[in-house]
Amino acid sequence: MDFHKLSAKEIADGVISRKWSAAEVLTALLGRIKKYDGKIKAIVTLCEEKAYCDARKIDEMVSNGLDPGPLAGVPFLVKDNFCTDGIRTTCGSRMLYDWIPCYDATAVKNMKNAGAVLMGKTNMDEFAMGSTTESSVFGPTLNPRDITRVPGGSSGGSAAAVAAGYCPIALGSDTGGSVRQPSAFCGVQGMKPSYGQISRYGIVAYASSLDQVGAITRNIGDMALAMDVLAKPDENDTTCDAYERPSFSSASAAENLRGCRVGILSGFDKDSMDKPLIEAIDRAADFCRSAGAEVMEVELPVTMKYAVACYYMVALGDASSKLACYDGMRYGLHADGKNLAEMYKRSRNQGFGKEVRRRILVGTCVLTRGYYENYYVPATKVRQMIADEYAELFSRADALICPISPALPYKKGLVEEDPVRIYLGDAFSSTANLAGLPSISLNVGFTEEKLPTNVQLIGPRFGDHGLIALASVLEKYAGSPDIAELCCEGSC
Amino acid sequence: MERQVVIGLEIHLQLKTKSKLFCGCSTDYIGAVPNTNVCPVCLAVPGTLPILNDKAVELAIKIALGLHCDIHDNTRFHRKHYFYADLPKAYQITQYEHPIAVGGYLDIIADGRPKRVRLHHLHLEEDAGKLVHPTSDGRMTGAAYSLVDYNRGGMPLSEIVSEPDINSAAEAIAYITQIRQLARYLDVSDGEMESGSLRADVNVSLSNPDGSLGTRVEIKNVNSLKAIENALKYEIARQNRVLDEGGRLVQETRLWDDMAGVTRSMRSKEGVRDYRYYLEMDLAPISAKPDYVEKIRASLPEMPWNRRDRFIQQYGLSIEDSVQLTEQRETADYFEKCAAHGAPALKCANWMRMEVQRILHENGIDIKDFNVSAEQLGSLITKVEKKELSNTQAKDVLAAMNAENISLDEALKKCGACGGPVSGHALEEIVRKVFADEAEAVETIRSGKDKKGAKVKFLQGLVMKETRGSADASETASIIQSLLK
Repeated sequence: MDFHKLSAKEIADGVISRKWSAAEVLTALLGRIKKYDGKIKAIVTLCEEKAYCDARKIDEMVSNGLDPGPLAGVPFLVKDNFCTDGIRTTCGSRMLYDWIPCYDATAVKNMKNAGAVLMGKTNMDEFAMGSTTESSVFGPTLNPRDITRVPGGSSGGSAAAVAAGYCPIALGSDTGGSVRQPSAFCGVQGMKPSYGQISRYGIVAYASSLDQVGAITRNIGDMALAMDVLAKPDENDTTCDAYERPSFSSASAAENLRGCRVGILSGFDKDSMDKPLIEAIDRAADFCRSAGAEVMEVELPVTMKYAVACYYMVALGDASSKLACYDGMRYGLHADGKNLAEMYKRSRNQGFGKEVRRRILVGTCVLTRGYYENYYVPATKVRQMIADEYAELFSRADALICPISPALPYKKGLVEEDPVRIYLGDAFSSTANLAGLPSISLNVGFTEEKLPTNVQLIGPRFGDHGLIALASVLEKYAGSPDIAELCCEGSC
Repeated sequence: MERQVVIGLEIHLQLKTKSKLFCGCSTDYIGAVPNTNVCPVCLAVPGTLPILNDKAVELAIKIALGLHCDIHDNTRFHRKHYFYADLPKAYQITQYEHPIAVGGYLDIIADGRPKRVRLHHLHLEEDAGKLVHPTSDGRMTGAAYSLVDYNRGGMPLSEIVSEPDINSAAEAIAYITQIRQLARYLDVSDGEMESGSLRADVNVSLSNPDGSLGTRVEIKNVNSLKAIENALKYEIARQNRVLDEGGRLVQETRLWDDMAGVTRSMRSKEGVRDYRYYLEMDLAPISAKPDYVEKIRASLPEMPWNRRDRFIQQYGLSIEDSVQLTEQRETADYFEKCAAHGAPALKCANWMRMEVQRILHENGIDIKDFNVSAEQLGSLITKVEKKELSNTQAKDVLAAMNAENISLDEALKKCGACGGPVSGHALEEIVRKVFADEAEAVETIRSGKDKKGAKVKFLQGLVMKETRGSADASETASIIQSLLK
């Protein structure tokens, strides 16, 4: 049985109907990881023992006639900035290289409560700061679709893992595109729900007002299933909305788009985009028409002009604040010094990598008196204008289709040559975070060089269900992506 | 023209909640083993988020209403950043641009004069941990290392910031005392400076002869009312001296050294830190809707100053008595219950100020721990009024009731005061017995040698002793006189 090709739904159905056991599935997927990850390097920590223990519990429940939940026996992986009880959580940083949390993030707990089996932790850009998964202390992850290219980031390990068939669902965090852009690069489906849809409790913060948990899958059906499990109120996170969510799986059963108004973004610099990604937008628009939707061209002038600048002010200001707790005193890397100040300086200098230090410095600067008024305050005003512009758009349209990344997967090492180009890559994705909107990166096929092409779907705030319905219908036309063709270490 | 003293106070009140401001940890930290009242949230373990304690918001609104502040709906928290070992997140969650309450005032009486002190605002914030610098020889300085205890970290504080309306040390003390009184009346805080549940930062300057404001100095580390008074006196004198000598003051923070009785410069304005105040996005805005605020307002007890004025009007108490009896809510409650039990209010006030106060003081206890109920004291006073007991007997009975935690009836038996005062024939018998025992003294009086009446008083004392104080003094005197003839 090729367990790695199965969807989460198929695995769970088989476990519940006792066609196969959770332990069997786990063995198969762990075997695949061991076979291929020497090259891809998507995984930083495996927790085999705990995983087998959990899988056996699921099998026991099934044999006792109990229902383990909608993800019974489905192996999953989480980005290494999700706190996992008793399992090292590094954030890809030297700072937290040995840190073992004493609790599970709410998202992890919800997955486990639904019967899913945690296999391990995936690689990421250090503290989720990057778009290439190259700044991790564990070294870079490679793109399973083309190992000369990056998998995107910062949740590059999770996206690569799903593309490589390690598991049907992996979790990431998305602050400016960190779930969706790597999903696009690796040719899988990624969703950043509305801010407040999924609890952030236990996610090591990058920027409080932008961070959101998202799932990465190979099809929208599994995405909806994951959302049903993840999107719940949480008493440990007051920014997580308390409303009772209707079924996302039901939303994913939509057949057509009749009565749906879809805006197609125009008015941006198409010449600086990789051509296949422009064609992807056109294809998606055609699918919409075929499915009965009303399609119109729309523009977001303020958003497209200022999003990146605004995003970096807001995100880095917050990052400098949230990362201030790493002083080497209670957890994380500690370096000795003559006095407290020297201990702090040495610990932080040795613990944080170059990109993280750069972002903390910029963030500290924009919150400093004088700069705060001239940079940070205007950025928060622009942020409100972006939210307003989107709100106006969604009074006319039910969803927006636009690019997720302006470029196909980057070649390795580009971040060193041209960091600003990488920052500009957030132009489309970060807008959803700034406005708190749900957004899905949807694969719409592959280029001749077998590089994935994709579009971004954005919906109104808490319009996550409608967005899943749209993605589900479009996926029927585009087809859900297959697993990447891999070869094991040494043989290619 | 003399320079005017200008003082502004920032008072931190530790709010009496069961759990900390942003997590479920116990607030019962005094005497707890270091770092036991802690959890991932208050230790800033990565991934954790703060959850606002609604009770703390309610208590802050209570005290703000008591201070006539305007309560703002939809206020926010900010992060105040600085690196120090007592602050696990490296920022303190506090309120900055949008405090929960603004404006308001407090009417105080200092040196017999009434005065209104306006308030700038009141906000909520979390406390920091505590550093301990142990030395091998027990000295205060020169520790080789520091230890940190996070039990206090995250305790809920309400900071009350006054306008610079205070013009003397006496006014400052009156202001703090009255805030403390209010906090206790409303059961919002213990308000104890000794244990740190009330702390004050003092800002003092001397206005120039032309009326313009002088250079402001902040005094920290003033941990008792006495310290505040002394620090203010010292600082006012120091500033006057510097200015008299033609010098210039610098805007700075000075630490009060209680042992040496001086303030010392800690940091000057040049070193003022930029706290990079930043909106706390991990917390939703505080919602204090008008109907919620009105519900709290309706639940407030009578304010101490209103009660003080009412006692004067309703019971005819003197200002002095009224101030003393309303100082603590429990004392005032006790008084009113006692008076409601039929005893004359003035007598109740007298008994409470004298006898009850004495017993409490001698036993080092609070009115809450007094074993005699207000109703029983009322009955006791009524008995004295009806002349069923002498004053002296009643005092003994009261002391016994408290000491042995017994009822009025039991105490009356115990003190042999059941039968009421000794009088008439029985009293005459006792006088005769004393005369027989002290024949010499009787002879001295009869021979007219007791010019100053000392011997008569001596005999009277003996009779009182024999009757265990239950005899009426004037009846005793008249019997002695008649038998002497």
